[in-house]
Amino acid sequence: MSENTIGKKSLEWVDSRFPVVDLFERHLSKYYSPSNINVWYLFGFLLLIVLVMQILTGLWLMMNYTNTAEGAFSSIEYIMRDVDYGWLIRYMHAGGASAFFALIYLHMFRGMMYGSYQKPRELIWVGGWFVYVLLCAEGFTGYVLPWGQMSFWAAQVIISLVGSIPYFGEDLAIWIRGDYIVSGITLSRLFAFHVVLLPILIIAVVFFHILALHEIGSNNPDGIDVKKHTDQDGVPLDAKPFFPYDITHDFYALGVFLLIFCTVIFFFPEGGGYIIEYVNYEPANPLSTPAHIVPSWYYTPFYAMLRAIDFPLFGLTAKFLGFVVMAAGIAIFAALPWLDRSPVKSIKYKGIYSKAFLTGFVISFFVLAYLGSVPPTETKNMLAKVFTFIYFAYFLLMPIYTKLEECKPVPERVGDPA
Amino acid sequence: MQPKSPPNPGRRKFLTYTTSFLGIVGAFFAAIPFVSAFKPSAKAEAAGAPVKVDLSKLLPGEMMTVEWRGRPVFVVNIPKENTNFITKNLERLADPNMEDPSQPDYAKNDIRSRKEGIAVLTGVCTHLGCAPKYYPEAKPEDFDSNWQGGFFCPCHGSKFDLVGRVYANVPAPTNLVVPPHFFEKDNLLVIGSDGVS
Amino acid sequence: MECDNFKSDVSDKASLQRGLSTYMNYCYGCHSLKYSRYKRVAEDLLIPLEMYENNLIYDGSKIGELMEISLTKEDAINWLGAYPPDLTLEARLRRPDWIYTYLRNYYPDSSRPYGVNNRVYQNVNMPHVLEDMQNNLSESQYDQVIYDLTNFMTYVADPSAEQRKRIGTYVLLFLVIFTSFAFMTYKEFKKDLK
Repeated sequence: MSENTIGKKSLEWVDSRFPVVDLFERHLSKYYSPSNINVWYLFGFLLLIVLVMQILTGLWLMMNYTNTAEGAFSSIEYIMRDVDYGWLIRYMHAGGASAFFALIYLHMFRGMMYGSYQKPRELIWVGGWFVYVLLCAEGFTGYVLPWGQMSFWAAQVIISLVGSIPYFGEDLAIWIRGDYIVSGITLSRLFAFHVVLLPILIIAVVFFHILALHEIGSNNPDGIDVKKHTDQDGVPLDAKPFFPYDITHDFYALGVFLLIFCTVIFFFPEGGGYIIEYVNYEPANPLSTPAHIVPSWYYTPFYAMLRAIDFPLFGLTAKFLGFVVMAAGIAIFAALPWLDRSPVKSIKYKGIYSKAFLTGFVISFFVLAYLGSVPPTETKNMLAKVFTFIYFAYFLLMPIYTKLEECKPVPERVGDPA
Repeated sequence: MQPKSPPNPGRRKFLTYTTSFLGIVGAFFAAIPFVSAFKPSAKAEAAGAPVKVDLSKLLPGEMMTVEWRGRPVFVVNIPKENTNFITKNLERLADPNMEDPSQPDYAKNDIRSRKEGIAVLTGVCTHLGCAPKYYPEAKPEDFDSNWQGGFFCPCHGSKFDLVGRVYANVPAPTNLVVPPHFFEKDNLLVIGSDGVS
Repeated sequence: MECDNFKSDVSDKASLQRGLSTYMNYCYGCHSLKYSRYKRVAEDLLIPLEMYENNLIYDGSKIGELMEISLTKEDAINWLGAYPPDLTLEARLRRPDWIYTYLRNYYPDSSRPYGVNNRVYQNVNMPHVLEDMQNNLSESQYDQVIYDLTNFMTYVADPSAEQRKRIGTYVLLFLVIFTSFAFMTYKEFKKDLK
């Protein structure tokens, strides 16, 4: 009895100074999600778990890592061999990076499929896109840290891209490197970005993303506005509270995810060379380039675009144009809310053009991912051009095809016949 | 919709508690690598590995300082004439019978060592960590007119006898610590290991 | 050329011990294993520390130290023309089947400085240090020596592999149980939504 009163009093004391009860209700116990959301709505939670895991494992790695050109490579082996369970912490971090990208691609595709970027969720989408951009930078800077051959040459290639900018590109590249070639100086600054600047930005933008989501509420596979119909208490009829309905679903998903993730990190930690490249077991050597330089699998679609552009245009060099196209391939996601002119959200009720272009986008993403991971040939280069075109057509023609096509009527409530 | 009352509350309760319990167990397991990674690594272990010391050149009355795990270890060849004091004058010591566990069991004896006449002591004053100075001869000193040989800490005036037992009424609370050690051969001292595997 | 199939078995401690012995006698003069420690190898290969210290450490190093060699870069370039790389991670870099095939594919070639060439690594700078052994042993005996050596190099490139797989099995077993209960809990609450 008395304990209960103490607990209650403490809660009241805190609550009158900081709105814990309100926060708990708004974000968990009375946060409503549509009752028709499906498996595609699990990736946000999993991404949050992976983010926490990356921060924790990263912190532990940082305790034993040396951020100098002389010490970086051997400090990784120190972690792998001399630190108790260091191998596990590193495999979690390296595998976690791949998991992060796999999940974020699925998460983004869900948004594209069900029109989650449409009004009124534009800022949720743009915030999420910004997390993705930051994650690309985080992935790249982290990739350089082991200071193996792949690390070094990836840094060399990516920073050289900046050098393609007309007039001041070369000076800018030197400024970024802090040296005339990629060196320990470059490594140190990429390390600082990787462990301080980028994580802070990622956490901040993820916070914004979730706050914005919880203000508007989740979209759903039908694109129905579930807030329209409520009961006498103002609770939406076609939605359920996060706690306990979504949390139980999320935990189940977490179990499945961990089964896959742990199978990989305990039994295939190198992921056949896709998670940790074999070439990266050789220390960085500025005098010898490995035979095949391939970026991590999660960048390969954009790498394929970069290579596909082998012609100058409008007075721009092929090198700079390739860089622009590659950057545009990532940037264009942010414009989706304003490119889609369709009256409906979900692909379920959109017309044939939207379905065709979305399918084309998915196919081109996979084909480009493949092409970016293999050595180029003339045929493959031609294919890369075609699929880069299809990739961009999905976005750039969207204002036209979403206006032209005929959409199906969206049901008023979840479960109503369409 | 609002949360509903379940058709079978017992089953729901059981499953919720079991899953939560398993989740907590899982989190506990997941913490193991992170806790273990804080232990001294193989590199630290190697740096702190046992040290071998050849004593054949250590003459009676001399002391040598050996580094083990980054700390000084004093190895003293106690002259015959001083050994008397070790068994006498016990009334001046704070803990002559070595009740405080500042030595391995095998060194909890009159000579505080594994070998007669050789003292092995961690050279860190048990007061605040200064390194005590070695004053071997039994003669009046500035800090003690009836000095019988031993260690004197210049920082706060703590006094120890030749086998590291602390005097009464000085700041240091306990005897100097005897590190694990054993004699691999007659004149070959190993510091940092009890010699049993 | 295609590499021959090589299937490592790092649980075969006898094979690893033989491989270690070959490595220490024939390779270690030039190729360090500088990310590995003597003690770790001794413990993982079930070799008593004292025996290891007395028989397999040649330069007075302590058992806890890294397996570095005394050959300096300058001397190596003067004497051999190149610095022999550290091989701790060779099995992860080039893969075990490459090493296994490479070491079994030296052939005489008088145009090369050491009179030998290699089918896997054309114009390799390394002499065939196991030539005498290959001449004195039958083909299957020599293959066994190379198998053991490659097996050892596979181990030393990834010494935590055995521990990793053992722990991984328990982790997956636990996760199957956790996920089953999480699934049942999810289903239980899902009943409300019908």
